[in-house]
Amino acid sequence: MFRNQYDNDASTWSPQGRLHQVEYAMEAVKQGSAVVGLRSNTHAVLVALKRSPGKLASYQQKLYRVDDHIGVAISGLTSDARVLSNFMRSEAMRSKMLYDRPLPLFRLSSALVAKAQANIQEYGRRPYGVGLLYIGHDETGPHVYEFSPSANTFEYFAMAIGSRSQSARTYLERTFDAFSDAALDDLIKHGLRALRDTLQQDKQLDTLNCSVAYVGKDQAYTMVEGEDLRPFLDALDSDHSGNAAPSSSSQGPAPMETEA
Amino acid sequence: MASIKLKLPQAAQNAQEPITHSDGPIVTGTSVLGIKYKDGIMVAADCLASYGSLARFRDVNRLQAFGERTIIGASGDIGDFQYVQDELEKLMIKDFCLADGHELATPHVYSYLHRLLYSRRSEMKPLWNSYVVGGVHSSSSQRFLGYVDLLGTTYQSSTIATGFGAHLAQPLLRKAVEGREDTLTEEEAVKILDDCMRVLFYRDARSLNRIRRAKVTKDGMEVTDPYSLETEWAFAEHIVGYGA
Amino acid sequence: MTSIGTGYDYAVSTYSPDGRVFQIEYASKAVDNSGTAIGIRAKDGVVFAVEKLAQSKLQVPGTNQRIQGVERHLGMATSGLLSDAKQLVTRARSDALNYRNSYSASIPVKTMAEQLGMFMHAYTIYSGARPYGCSVVLGGMDDEGPQLYMIDPSGSYWGYRGCASGKGKQVARTELEKLKFDELSARQAIKEATRIIYSAHDEAKDKEFELELVWISAETNGRFERVSKEMVAEAEAYTQALLNAEMDDDE
Repeated sequence: MFRNQYDNDASTWSPQGRLHQVEYAMEAVKQGSAVVGLRSNTHAVLVALKRSPGKLASYQQKLYRVDDHIGVAISGLTSDARVLSNFMRSEAMRSKMLYDRPLPLFRLSSALVAKAQANIQEYGRRPYGVGLLYIGHDETGPHVYEFSPSANTFEYFAMAIGSRSQSARTYLERTFDAFSDAALDDLIKHGLRALRDTLQQDKQLDTLNCSVAYVGKDQAYTMVEGEDLRPFLDALDSDHSGNAAPSSSSQGPAPMETEA
Repeated sequence: MASIKLKLPQAAQNAQEPITHSDGPIVTGTSVLGIKYKDGIMVAADCLASYGSLARFRDVNRLQAFGERTIIGASGDIGDFQYVQDELEKLMIKDFCLADGHELATPHVYSYLHRLLYSRRSEMKPLWNSYVVGGVHSSSSQRFLGYVDLLGTTYQSSTIATGFGAHLAQPLLRKAVEGREDTLTEEEAVKILDDCMRVLFYRDARSLNRIRRAKVTKDGMEVTDPYSLETEWAFAEHIVGYGA
Repeated sequence: MTSIGTGYDYAVSTYSPDGRVFQIEYASKAVDNSGTAIGIRAKDGVVFAVEKLAQSKLQVPGTNQRIQGVERHLGMATSGLLSDAKQLVTRARSDALNYRNSYSASIPVKTMAEQLGMFMHAYTIYSGARPYGCSVVLGGMDDEGPQLYMIDPSGSYWGYRGCASGKGKQVARTELEKLKFDELSARQAIKEATRIIYSAHDEAKDKEFELELVWISAETNGRFERVSKEMVAEAEAYTQALLNAEMDDDE
């Protein structure tokens, strides 16, 4: 690690016009396990890799329901994520209360940006140390958004964030052209394949370390976990021999206290 | 409207009670009528704003369009209505700026109006109005007709009448419209509303025979210029004690 | 005098011995690192154009707009930190609504520039804040006709007939200065803006970009409106034809 004089807080510009604290916060996102989001013309899907700190511990929750039409996957500081997912829930409720309308995804993004931006402009605060991928379906169709600690949100056809997620992005960039007309099952399969690419050599996806969620037109946000994942995982194994080495699925604690 | 009460003369109030300048409407508009018909929604209101029993302003518009396919008709305090118009205008501007493909449809405007009125009544600062909110959805062509008042009370129906109209016109509207919402033609709808407005003009001393009418269909909205209803007063000459 | 290592460049509330506030200059660097944004004040309207640099091909085209509406008749294009820009847009919108509350009228463009300039300036005088890392091109139509202003991170603003900020501002300014603003219609300005954004784009350094175009003119009834796909295509064809002609000249 190196130090410079301009990286102590998010209210100091570096001579190059950068905000180092914000860039460091983006690194915190990479400490979390990977999550993948992708969409077709009708559905949006989240796929996440869960970690467990040890054999006696349960797996860390990665997906949160925000509303019937929105769900979010997190990577980074879990406690920050909880603050943000609670905020997202209250925004969704507000829209229902005030306008009798499910919150449009774009407006949720604007609200998140406004909330996170305050943390990177005033002295004495820190940026959120978490990245979010959230999916949803509104009047304009299915959406996949990324929220980052820099107080930016971007809309994607498909995206992956978190530890070793570059491999997943490579997979998505190669295949996303086929997503728009894909059936829900195929979309989930693409998501799982992308997620599988983020695994270390000796690891594999199983019913314990994996979460799937989807939402679509006339399809409320639904989460698939545990044994219900078996058909998807079996379908995945049959089309690819993969890194088949059986192993304990625990990945051990992260180097920083991130998601435990 | 039923809930409008002019306040008691100052002398009648107990000296111990607080002075209440703002617990009632001041300049008021009377009934608004709204019905569903084959092509959409039609509403009507007269052009009068009364100051007590004085016919104070005789060219007032109480029908306001919001967006392409939502119409709002107001009875009750005109100043409060103008405030609500400003609030809704700001809402439309916010929506215009966001430009994310999510238009405020009639049920959303209705819900917002409901929350606004209910929160104000809960703060003991009610906006002294009853509203008729009507519209047609741009893609589904679904019709919407709802009522909301100063208490935050809401209901939806195929005929709605506020103020005196709730007593005098509502039975006539129900008889003419209920069960025929999908077959009534535009001409029939116009006649129903004109007839009811005429009845109201005969019987409601705070009304005028100059009215505006608006229709909302899937193709958009049309608000008429003010026009006068034909009335017949010849009978009055034969009634002893009528008028002068 | 250099800034780095002197200790005079950590807080916006500190002057250097030669009277500079380095934190504001650093914030301006963030603006210079971002895609070009330009504004043109034509005879009958204003035109905004932004070179939106592509982050990833997975991104949905047309999202994350850098030109945003503030009121029906008023909009702003930004260059610099996107999240800072969004904050300023939010602020501008609420200023516009406050004006409406007071006067039941839409805010004049000059008043908007004044208020937003003051707001940004407030972030250049306290040690607890940092200056906004973005420049704002503000324009619209009001009683005075088409109006165009640009506000920089220091909070200072001027009125312009044509202005540019961001990476390609030098090239863009040179091109803007050649325009005959007294004869230029907003419709024609869309083509010129497109041409200028293309010429300011540095193909060697940045690969792909998305052109964002908005106009507020007599033709849009004085309303903020995204330029239609057909008109964008027309403007791009015009640009391409000029580029081809230039290439022929070179040969």
